[in-house]
Formats: sequence, C-alpha cells, structure tokens
Amino acid sequence: MKDMYILGIESSCDETSISIVKNGTEEIATVISSQIDIHKNYGGVVPEIASRHHVKNITIVLEECLQKAEMTMEEIDGIAITYGPGLIGSLLIGLEAAKTLAFIYQKPLIPVHHIAGHIYANSLVQPLKFPLLAVVVSGGHTELIVMKDHYQFEKIGGTLDDAIGECYDKVARVIGLEYPGGPKVDKLSLVGKDTYKLPIPLQDDSYNFSFSGLKSAVINLVHNEEQRNEEIRKEDLATSFQKVAVESITSKVRKAIVEKQIKNVIVAGGVAANNGLRTAMKELTDELGVELSIPPMKYCTDNGTMIAAAGYYAYQAGRVADLDLNSKSQDTLK
Amino acid sequence: MRILYIDTSSSYLYSAIVEDGKLLSSVSEDYGQGLSQIALPKIAEMFQENNLSPKDVDKIIVVNGPGSFTGIRIGITIAKVYAWSLNIPITTINSLEAMATSSKEQKVHIPMLNARRGYVYTAIYSAEGKCLFEPKHIKLEEFQKEMEKYENYEILSNDEFEEDFTLNHYQPDFVTITQEFKDKEDMNPHAVNPEYLKLTEAEEKL
Repeated sequence: MKDMYILGIESSCDETSISIVKNGTEEIATVISSQIDIHKNYGGVVPEIASRHHVKNITIVLEECLQKAEMTMEEIDGIAITYGPGLIGSLLIGLEAAKTLAFIYQKPLIPVHHIAGHIYANSLVQPLKFPLLAVVVSGGHTELIVMKDHYQFEKIGGTLDDAIGECYDKVARVIGLEYPGGPKVDKLSLVGKDTYKLPIPLQDDSYNFSFSGLKSAVINLVHNEEQRNEEIRKEDLATSFQKVAVESITSKVRKAIVEKQIKNVIVAGGVAANNGLRTAMKELTDELGVELSIPPMKYCTDNGTMIAAAGYYAYQAGRVADLDLNSKSQDTLK
Repeated sequence: MRILYIDTSSSYLYSAIVEDGKLLSSVSEDYGQGLSQIALPKIAEMFQENNLSPKDVDKIIVVNGPGSFTGIRIGITIAKVYAWSLNIPITTINSLEAMATSSKEQKVHIPMLNARRGYVYTAIYSAEGKCLFEPKHIKLEEFQKEMEKYENYEILSNDEFEEDFTLNHYQPDFVTITQEFKDKEDMNPHAVNPEYLKLTEAEEKL
C-alpha cells in the first residue's frame, strides 16, 4: 500500500499545533506553539485570549511544520482536524484553516475527536491491541473507553462532575501553587507523607468518577486548618490527595480490565504525565498481566501529532467530512 | 486580476469574486451562528459557479474588523491560510471603511456597529471617502457629540440601537470596494490579523 501522510491540526485549547504523521505511526514533523506563559497571568486559560493567539499563530505553525518535514502541501494525503470537544473559539481557528487547505488542495478533510487523538498518541509508540481500555485523564476529561477494534469507541464511564486535571489544578490553587498547578501537586506528593484523611470518591458499581467531593474535602480541610491557625503541610496534603485521586481511578480500571477482558490499557491525556498515576497503573497492569501503554511526555499534552495519527485510522474507517464540518464544544466520542 | 473578497465580521457572510472590475459571483447572507460552518462551502460554491479552480485567485482582500470577534477570526483565518498557500498578495480593510465605500449617498458616512453596553464601533468618513474620525470602540453618548459636528450625514448599519436613529441598510458594493482597495499595500499573510479595537475583558481587568 502507498504511504499515507496526514497533516494534523489541533487548536482545541491553548496550544496551536500542526504535525505530519506517516501511516498513523511515524512522526515526520511537529510544531507546537504553547500559550501557557500568557494564560499564567490570569490563573487559567482565557478563551478569548486563546482564540486571538491561535489566529496569529496558525500560518506560522503550518509553515514551520512543512519546512521541518521538508514537504509541500501537495504531498499531503489528508487533513485531520480536531473538531471538538474544546473551547469553541479556539477550535474554529484550526477548523477554518483545515477546511481552507482541504478546499485549495482538494484533499480529504478528516474530523478527529480530541480524545481519539489522545488515545492514538499511543500508536506512535507501539501498535494497539484489542480489546483495549483507554483511560483518558486530562484537564477537561476523565473517561473510560473500550475499543474492540480500530476506531470503534464505547464509553463505559466518565466523571459526573469535575475532570481529574481540573481537580488537581483547584487543589493546587488552594494550597498556593501557581497555575498550572496540577503537575506541581504531583511533584510535591513525591516528597510528602500520607497523613491527611480524605474520602475516596464514588466507590460504587459503575465505571463513573466524581471529583467535586474530593475537591471540596481538600478546600474544607485547608480552611479548617487555617481557622485553627495550623499550618498546612503542603507536601503531605499533596501526597494524601494524590493517593485518593489515583486510587479512585485505579479501582474502576481494575473492574473494567476484569469485566471487559482487556488486553491493552492505554493512559491518555495531560494527566497521563502524572507520576503517581503512572506508577499505580504499572502495578495494577503487572498484577493482572495486561499490557500498559503510556505515551511519552511529549505526546501527553495537546499536539497535532496525535490528531494526525488518529486521522489516519479515522480515514481508514471511512470518516471523511465535507466543507460544512463544524466545531463542537462538546461531543461524545463514537 | 481576480480578487477574492471576504468579510465575516458580523453574522453575515459577504464574499465575492471580482475579475477586472466585473462581479463574477457574490454572497450576502445572514447566517447567524452558522457562519463558521457555512462560510467555506459558500466560498467554494462561487468558484464552482464560474468553473474556477480554488487556485484561480490573484489577490485576497479581507475585512479585519471591527465586529464580532469570532466572526472576524473566521474570515481572517480563511484569508491568511488562502494567501499563504497560494503565495498571492493579501490586504486587509476595515469593516467600517467597507461600509462607507459602498454608500452611494453624497453625505458624510457614519458606519456604526452595536458593541453593546452603550458602546459602538464607529468612524466618520466624508462623502469623498476621507477619514474624518478614526475607527474606534467608543461610548455612543460620547460619540454623539462628534456626530453633532456634521449636518448632513447618514448612519450606516444593519444593527439595532435603542436611540431613535434613521439607519441606512448596509449592502456591500463588491466592485467598488475591490476596485478601491486592490492597490492597497500587500501584507505578509502571517501578519494579517484581526483589529478588534477592544481588549478582552480579562485584559481590561488585569
């Protein structure tokens, strides 16, 4: 079969990223323009500011990517685009760029769900094995997805309220860590001791998660300690919080591996970079004799590489869009 | 010279292909929230109507604001990606300038967009098209003092205002606009960006 080069465009949040991937598995070139330093000043991503930067960056990132790949647009076989979910104003920049390129060069336009991208980041490392369980953990998502084959997604559970990454960032803020604080909580937790008692959320029969209760418990604990003029031992609180947060994920993952006869577990999304979660998932999958894939750090955050990789498999599955494709701030992975 | 004109700075798509001063195809339609979805298919249709390939364009003129933030970005993104891809000249014009240029009235032109909360985006142009008051995001109350300086003027707008204004409906004259601005200095597509005339709320509060 002829080699297939997919250009992937990702702009769902605060990274403008474009990549070229060969046959869904081989990264040819990637460019990421991150806005993290800009949004830091506001304590979180400001959607309108993010959109303003995407539009400024888009052609620059595109040009750099093609230069890095030493390729021209004519040599590209398809254009994969994150159509959602994400910040609508941000998504639209990537979408309009992708549609314009698809129109000018008469190339297939391939719609990719952001989460499918995070899952397929793993196919850049090793082939996926089915049935597969994708544990999607990020600032916007906490989901368990079962795949029986390529590009067949069945969501079996998800968070009922906050996403895990969101919860990490809020806990970070309460204990005075600068945005984005999630990774800083993870780092602190490695040096602390588990001394604070926090409730493990949603220990039920479903595959769902809940993090708002845990978040509130941390906030209340900090306030109570403050009122008693007790100093918070930040590293210990981080350790205790991380232990509970990770346990609430692994208990549901254990259940899913057994009940769904899973062969391959994938951890995807920004929180896949979390050390506590990585260690716990390794122990769990070793114990159950299941293969674990966690993408390298560079593929954990948002990037065009994963969108191009997923785009290849989406195209094989016949998922091609017309020029009237629209962005969706929310959408279930199907 | 074949020019592609794009203005998505409101909920309308105003787009046209103009060849040597002759209008080949155009779109002027209010698509509301659907603009992001429909803009490119409608532009593609204009090419098909004329049996043109997407690459048969020599120049792009795009409106860079003011207006709807999201709207402006749709047109700017399409235009800069287009110009960059084909390596053709691109130039930007102001939405208020496009409105004034299209008017046939021999009066002072005051194009006006409702920016809400008592604010407008507006400017003042002489009947001959000379800019008398630079495009600005301004409190309407304050701007009305500027308007009083002129006797014979028209207000151009497709928006609604609480004030008892007589509004002249804006319909772009694609041929006049493209002829007027076809020789305006070209820009590097990377540098083609919206002119919002207003900071984001987060920046204002910082």
